[in-house]
Amino acid sequence: MRPQREYHIVVLGAGGVGKSCLTAQFVQNVWIESYDPTIEDSYRKQIEVDGRQCILEIELYMKQGQGFLLVFSITSMSSLNELSELREQIIRIKDDEHVPIVIVGNKSDLEEDRAVPRARAFGLSQTWGNAPYYETSARRRANVNEVFVHLCRQIIRKDLQEPSGGVDTTRKRDGPSRGDRKRDKGSGGRRRSPCVIL
Amino acid sequence: MTPPMTPQAATPSEQSMERGAVPRPVFHNYLRAFYPFHPAGDVSPSTITLPLDQGDIILVHSVHTNGWADGTLLDSGNRGWLPTNYCEAYDQIPMRPLLKALTDFWDIIRGGCGSSLKDFGNQDLMRGPIAGVRFLLEKSECLTREAPLVKQCDSLRRIRKALLSDLSSLVKTAKRFQDVANGVPSEEEVEAILDEMLLKAFKIVTRGVRFLDVWNEEVGLGRTIAEMETAGAQSGLPPTPMSANFSMTASASTAGTQPERNESRQTNHSRTAFSRASVRTETVEPHRPMSVATKRISISHRVSYSGPSSAAHAQNLASERLVISYDAFLSVLGSFIGLHMQSRSSTELVTTTQQAVESCRALLAVIEAVCEHDSPRTILLQEAREAMCENLSELVHAARDVFRPAHIHDDDLVFMPDEGKRLVDAATDCVRAAGNCLAKARLVLEHIGDIELDSLEEQSSTTQAVTSITNPEAPSCTKAAKERPQDLSLRLPPTPLSIPISTYSPSTPGLTDSTTPSSLQSHLNSTNSPAHPLASSTLPDSASVSTHADQASSFSSYNSNFRESHPISDVSESFGRGVTSTGSSFTYHSHMRDSEMSGLSRTSTRATSPDIGSSFHGSYKVHSLKESISHSTLAEESEEAEAHLLEKTFAHELVYKDRQVMGGSLRALIEKLTAHQSTPDATFVSTFYLTFRLFTTPLEFAQGLAERFEYIGDTPHAAGPVRLRVYNIFKGWLESHWRHDRDDSALDFITSFAKNRLSADLPTAGRRLHELAEKVAAVHGPLVPRLVSSMGKTNTAIGQYIHPDTPLPPPILGKKETNLLRQWKNGEASLSILDFDPLELARQLTIKESRIFCSILPEELLDTEWTRKSGSLAVNVRAMATLSTDLTHLVTDSIVYLEEPKKRAATIKHWVKIANKCLELNNYDSLMAIICSLNSSTISRLRRTWDNVSQKTKIILKHLRSVVDISRNYTVLRQRLQNHVPPCLPFVGTYLTDLTFVDHGNQSLRSLPTGDGEMTVINFDKHMKTARIISELQRFQIPYRLTEVPELQAWMQNEFVRVRSNGESPNQVFYRRSLVLEPRETCRSGGNLHAQPQASAGQNTLTSSSSQPTHHEEPSQAVSILENAREKLDFLSWTNPSKSKPVASNG
Repeated sequence: MRPQREYHIVVLGAGGVGKSCLTAQFVQNVWIESYDPTIEDSYRKQIEVDGRQCILEIELYMKQGQGFLLVFSITSMSSLNELSELREQIIRIKDDEHVPIVIVGNKSDLEEDRAVPRARAFGLSQTWGNAPYYETSARRRANVNEVFVHLCRQIIRKDLQEPSGGVDTTRKRDGPSRGDRKRDKGSGGRRRSPCVIL
Repeated sequence: MTPPMTPQAATPSEQSMERGAVPRPVFHNYLRAFYPFHPAGDVSPSTITLPLDQGDIILVHSVHTNGWADGTLLDSGNRGWLPTNYCEAYDQIPMRPLLKALTDFWDIIRGGCGSSLKDFGNQDLMRGPIAGVRFLLEKSECLTREAPLVKQCDSLRRIRKALLSDLSSLVKTAKRFQDVANGVPSEEEVEAILDEMLLKAFKIVTRGVRFLDVWNEEVGLGRTIAEMETAGAQSGLPPTPMSANFSMTASASTAGTQPERNESRQTNHSRTAFSRASVRTETVEPHRPMSVATKRISISHRVSYSGPSSAAHAQNLASERLVISYDAFLSVLGSFIGLHMQSRSSTELVTTTQQAVESCRALLAVIEAVCEHDSPRTILLQEAREAMCENLSELVHAARDVFRPAHIHDDDLVFMPDEGKRLVDAATDCVRAAGNCLAKARLVLEHIGDIELDSLEEQSSTTQAVTSITNPEAPSCTKAAKERPQDLSLRLPPTPLSIPISTYSPSTPGLTDSTTPSSLQSHLNSTNSPAHPLASSTLPDSASVSTHADQASSFSSYNSNFRESHPISDVSESFGRGVTSTGSSFTYHSHMRDSEMSGLSRTSTRATSPDIGSSFHGSYKVHSLKESISHSTLAEESEEAEAHLLEKTFAHELVYKDRQVMGGSLRALIEKLTAHQSTPDATFVSTFYLTFRLFTTPLEFAQGLAERFEYIGDTPHAAGPVRLRVYNIFKGWLESHWRHDRDDSALDFITSFAKNRLSADLPTAGRRLHELAEKVAAVHGPLVPRLVSSMGKTNTAIGQYIHPDTPLPPPILGKKETNLLRQWKNGEASLSILDFDPLELARQLTIKESRIFCSILPEELLDTEWTRKSGSLAVNVRAMATLSTDLTHLVTDSIVYLEEPKKRAATIKHWVKIANKCLELNNYDSLMAIICSLNSSTISRLRRTWDNVSQKTKIILKHLRSVVDISRNYTVLRQRLQNHVPPCLPFVGTYLTDLTFVDHGNQSLRSLPTGDGEMTVINFDKHMKTARIISELQRFQIPYRLTEVPELQAWMQNEFVRVRSNGESPNQVFYRRSLVLEPRETCRSGGNLHAQPQASAGQNTLTSSSSQPTHHEEPSQAVSILENAREKLDFLSWTNPSKSKPVASNG
């Protein structure tokens, strides 16, 4: 049997937009009433995309990602504004203008607090070459699967479009420093975040 | 090898199940035999089949797709395989809590390791059955001896008494168990008593089922028929909905409702419904198809049971609902027709009749709605409908006539096949009439277009019930659900076409090795993994087929065989395998128990429980039920049991899994907290103290405790200890767990409770609590200084014990270093880390970090407190993060301001040594900080520098990296910490991420199926998980025994402050500095100039990060972006909304 594809997806966005909520909602099984993030597979999930079985590993670090969910909160304009910056960084790191990205406007359940008009988000999507835009509610589990599936579909399509060469270059560039970069991000960042206040 | 035959002989259904197209049948925990099953003597010796008598109740452990179930016969306690097509699901609403209690009981006793049951005590074990019996009696209006029904009906009275006596006997055994458990019992002793209790619980359920049978015959049937007759007398109108499927609701006082009915019918003659409880509603709103409010009253428990099922809303189109109700009706009729084949218990007949009527009404309701549209075409439909009504009426009367001649005994009434002939005819007519109705209704709909029916809440209860059962996820309300054609795996109703005249049993497969489910497993094993050794050994092979005669011994031998012959892993694996291949066809709505099972293996937990349990010994003797039947007089026993029944308890509002409380209502949790029969579990109590503010308010908690104090007064024998516990909980709260910021709002209440209520019963306690409350009001901070790690302390007993007098290790600080430090202090010299011994630096770092770490309070870790943008209480958590960040910056700083590559390399080498010493000191947090810096692009890109780093250092660094590797959710680090002995400084980041995800990934509430619906309760499991992570962290909150060197500390602190003052984004500064030191060697031209021609064309796996070549090979443009991105992309930003500043792009 053909080995399953494994893809790494990175969820990015400003603080408090609901990235962990989105991830947790996606990763945990519908049946499971109890989510334990302390185990090895806590951030892995198998899904079917267009008939292919894929394993998605939700990553916390940019370097490894093959696809990116850029999350903002529809209740915060600044969280939307931060995305452009993030995208630029992604493109430079991945060295790829067409890196799969899905824009996610989370907290759609808080419609009454909406601060980002849909048009703004769509506008952003257009300037990004029509990156898909979804509004989700992690809390209500609305559109959660969809964004991951759509992103995964993009990755797969890209894989097919770019016969080894393109993909490999990207990977290679990432390859050597992948390990350290991750760690770098991980811990360095963790320390940094709370102290930004200082 | 040929696959085994399935008893249901339904190949098409199996195929379709494999395709996964069929809705999943519900897994039923209980089956009731409706055919006797007595396998012939020549059964395979390697298989235990369970002989069944009609009416037997079976607790099901697992159901194989071939239709055989592994079950325990409650009557005897025997376990074995039985054909499910001889049985049907038993799920009577009044029995549900009792059945659930037994399931829990079984899981507790058989599901876990037996020895720890000693701690478990009997309280929780006992409450379920008591509450279950209470529920049953309540629903049947037989709670007290004085109840009219009990007085009227002798057979009811007798069986009620017997039931109470059984219960009392169980309670007694449980008490004895507690006594034994408190002593030093041998394992055998414990097991024997547990088994005895289990069998007694079986007995109670069996008796409860009998009680309900009798009730249905004596009361339920009469009520149903009475209702039907009233209804049938009306001019062809569809019969009215019964008051639920049992008229057993609390309100059911049948006598008083008759006149109202007639009235309402007059005012509402064209409607299908009438109001039982309120005429007015009907009169005022004559156009509503149903009297909504009143209907709700009369069927309240059904409505709540069906609940706002999400599936229900989808089916408002008349055409859809038409089909649904038609299907439902037909499936009931199908089982109805099947009745003739075998003599059946009257209870089942009654139930089936009721269901037939109900589902028919659902159908009629839809048709009625269609007729409402008043098209001339509906005339045909009206006719069809009337014919339908007539047929139904005939069916009901036929059912009644079956019983008419019968003399009702204490025993289950049985009617003979011949008598059922008329019934079958009537049912067949119904099928025909229903088909006609459907066709006509469709015709009408085609003409008038589909219509939207009112939302379900507005519809009749029966429609709702029927609709809800079409949702396979929803618990089924009626048997109809189980008997829908799709649910073939549990039961295939005999088809109406082949009606034999004489007594008939469905064929079961010959009981040979190859056809029994057990041997099927060996097939599976052999096909799936030829090498698997299990094969026939999966079966308890030495036990012969059990019979009623040797029930007890076969029970024990079955289990003992199971245990003795199979290593745990083997057996569970084989079960898992068997289920994986087939498991998709089952959905277990007993989800409270199985909630955490993966989607792949969704068998009942009990399927494997006998093997997991280490409690089985071949040697002990299982008490047969016959022995366990109480010898004392019934009267005496039932007195005592009655006292127990009257005890008010909310134990049924708790959700258990594996003996852990997973959830519960606040009052039930408080009850658990203050249980009298056993000491409350320490983890439970500390979790409660730590987290209760997340699911209730301090005031509500205090009030809940006060209520508990109050209502236990109804139970004199328990009042004393419980009230004392309530006091103790208050005391512990005030003394050690009081949070002024949150709890002060409850203080007045507690004071007045102490003064007015507590003092009245326990004067000393009242005074003491009052004093405490006053002290709390006066003092800031905890009264009794609580050990910081009050939770984790329980685990730390295993920590290294170092005698306090053991001298501290002397600091490694020579004269030279001391002098340097002095000069630095006087501003005469500058220092670098190279001036100090790596171990000493590591020690001082450790002391510094450990001090902050040990001050982290548990409340800092709750509710993602550390992420609050302002006013965060998590000062220590944040200080910890700040220090780590400072350390990372310091490392970078100390390297990038050295001009010569060799010097930089020397500094790197020194930091690697320091990091290595940190690892030796188990200081993972500092280790992580240092490695972070060395991994950062700023440092890693310095190729010329790294060229000067020795291979030896690189090897050490590689090892250090592997320790703090993040891949696979920090598997390496987690494993290291798992059984780590303190002192240790774990990497705090993982705890924070875990806590965030527990918080975001788990609901605050969970639902608890109750006897007549569902209730939403606190998801205590979430808080237990939170508390567990916090206690893990606390486990390490033990200070290091190291000597502090103040001068060195001062210098380090100065360095940190200096680095911190570099500005908001020192990383950019550092990165620019890095570029200055070693400018980019190539410039990027939009391409991939750095791409080396590696042979990685097919490389798909990106997981092998730890085995990647070292980091310094690849400097690139991307690095700088990373540097910038880093603040934002770090994983803690997931948990930290405080950081929303955009990072300036690099120039």
